[in-house]
Amino acid sequence: MDKINAMTHETLIEFSNVSFSYDEDEENIKYAVKDLSFTVKKGEFLAVLGKNGSGKSTIAKLANSICVPSSGKVFVKGLDTSNSENEIEVRKKVGVVFQNPDNQIVASIVEEDVAFGPENLAIDPKEIRTRVDDALNAVGMYDRRFSETHRLSGGQKQRVAIAGIIAMRPECIVLDEPTAMLDPKGRADVIKTITALNKDFGVTVVLITHFMEEAINADRVMVVNDGRIFAVGTPREIFIKNDLLKGCGLELPDTAKLCEELKKSGISIKDDILTEEEFVREIVKLAKKTE
Amino acid sequence: MIKDITIGQFFPGNSFIHKLDARAKIVLTLLYIIALFMCKNFFSLLLMLGFSAVCVFISKISPKLIWKSLRAIIFIVLFTSALQIIYNDNGEILWKPFESRDFAVTTGGVFSAVFLAVRIIALILLSSLLTYTTSPTMLTDAIERLLSPLKIFKVKVHALAMMMTIALRFIPTLITEIDIIMSAQKARGAKLDSGSIPERMKAMISVFIPLFVSAFRRAAELAVAMECRCYTDSASRTSLKVMRMGIRDYISFAVLGAVIFGAVFTSFYKFSSMFIFEPVM
Repeated sequence: MDKINAMTHETLIEFSNVSFSYDEDEENIKYAVKDLSFTVKKGEFLAVLGKNGSGKSTIAKLANSICVPSSGKVFVKGLDTSNSENEIEVRKKVGVVFQNPDNQIVASIVEEDVAFGPENLAIDPKEIRTRVDDALNAVGMYDRRFSETHRLSGGQKQRVAIAGIIAMRPECIVLDEPTAMLDPKGRADVIKTITALNKDFGVTVVLITHFMEEAINADRVMVVNDGRIFAVGTPREIFIKNDLLKGCGLELPDTAKLCEELKKSGISIKDDILTEEEFVREIVKLAKKTE
Repeated sequence: MIKDITIGQFFPGNSFIHKLDARAKIVLTLLYIIALFMCKNFFSLLLMLGFSAVCVFISKISPKLIWKSLRAIIFIVLFTSALQIIYNDNGEILWKPFESRDFAVTTGGVFSAVFLAVRIIALILLSSLLTYTTSPTMLTDAIERLLSPLKIFKVKVHALAMMMTIALRFIPTLITEIDIIMSAQKARGAKLDSGSIPERMKAMISVFIPLFVSAFRRAAELAVAMECRCYTDSASRTSLKVMRMGIRDYISFAVLGAVIFGAVFTSFYKFSSMFIFEPVM
């Protein structure tokens, strides 16, 4: 499916003045998120950036009715998440993948774990079979479908966890720091999988992370700090605001850091360089100029 | 080291035994165990042992793995056999080490010791084959179906089965975690391998407390993840793999039936002087 066609203006998730606190204590209450308002459009790839404790993980739990706002409302396709009758419908539409793959895999065998969600939805066994196979193909784990889950690497486990959510055919996948516990290889595989899901299968993706380079492929980036939205924009718009990002405790991608250093030492280089490819092209251009 | 434990593990395959219905396999194993305790002489016992050996052969599970599971119980086998030799004083006296005492090694004792050892080995052979050839999910699904009549007594059969699935799933995870914690505590100077037994037990507390804390944390996270995947305790679930009794299962029942008949028959029919020794248990 073509990216441009997949992205529409239809609102999938809407946060409207949402505040949430884990404390029961009424006095000196501390909010994990405070007065948050934003929407996720169908088909888009939204990256939510924030350091630890910025409230970004709470957003994942609010999006599929695991947590209910203390004040304000969250709507998923118009369904109010605070209404417990909508719980299952909401979770069918929005799937969440968490940080630690070990703690979200239920079954000992890969394909049986992927089948867990569809089984819960009481789907016909034949249909489950096709869904499981499709999901495992989509994350590139079909060859390992009979493997024992504990023998997989971290990145493979996380891809199985993602397949487990895809098999439920949700409209949106929220990933809560899916790469935080992985090695660089596993991290790259998972990000590739997520990007492919959005670009090739038209699944709406909300990627919550503190690694800025993972947000490069996103359509929009939302920076969260202290439970509030700090900035929203395209990756290019956000990444040039170095000082703002540093203020939020975020670290710039390697290319951006390098550009900054180059600028400091008096070399005039473009502002909005994101990928390594762009960086190399720009350097070549500069080199030719100086010749 | 701890990772070597193979009991309860599943080795995927495509053999006749792998393809049997899990419910059939459980019932067959239970029948086999019951029959094993009805055997009265060596001929019937060898028949049963032969049956489980053939099953192992058909399943294409490597003999190495079978040996691993047997090695784990070798101490129990030796211990119970030794008790038989010491306490059983039927039959002729073979060896009397102390003239003054009553104690003697008798033919009855030796035979019942060997008899018991063979019986335990046959039992472990077939029951470990059950877990080796059946995926844990299939196993718990089967237990759920077999126990479903208990629902009329308001037993939450589904919840029990789900607990078993998760417990089996987390055994390898927690074993890895024990290894990590033990290394971490040793690095901090904990003496886990030296000292008197009470000292070592005390040192193990420093392993188990972190293990428990982490297990609870895992449980909480898993519960949230399961909820996210629409799990509820109402039992209107379907299953990826449909259980259906087929021709294979009926053949297996027939074969085991024949073996058990043979074993029971020979138990009561003394046709050869070779097998006259009836161990008294």
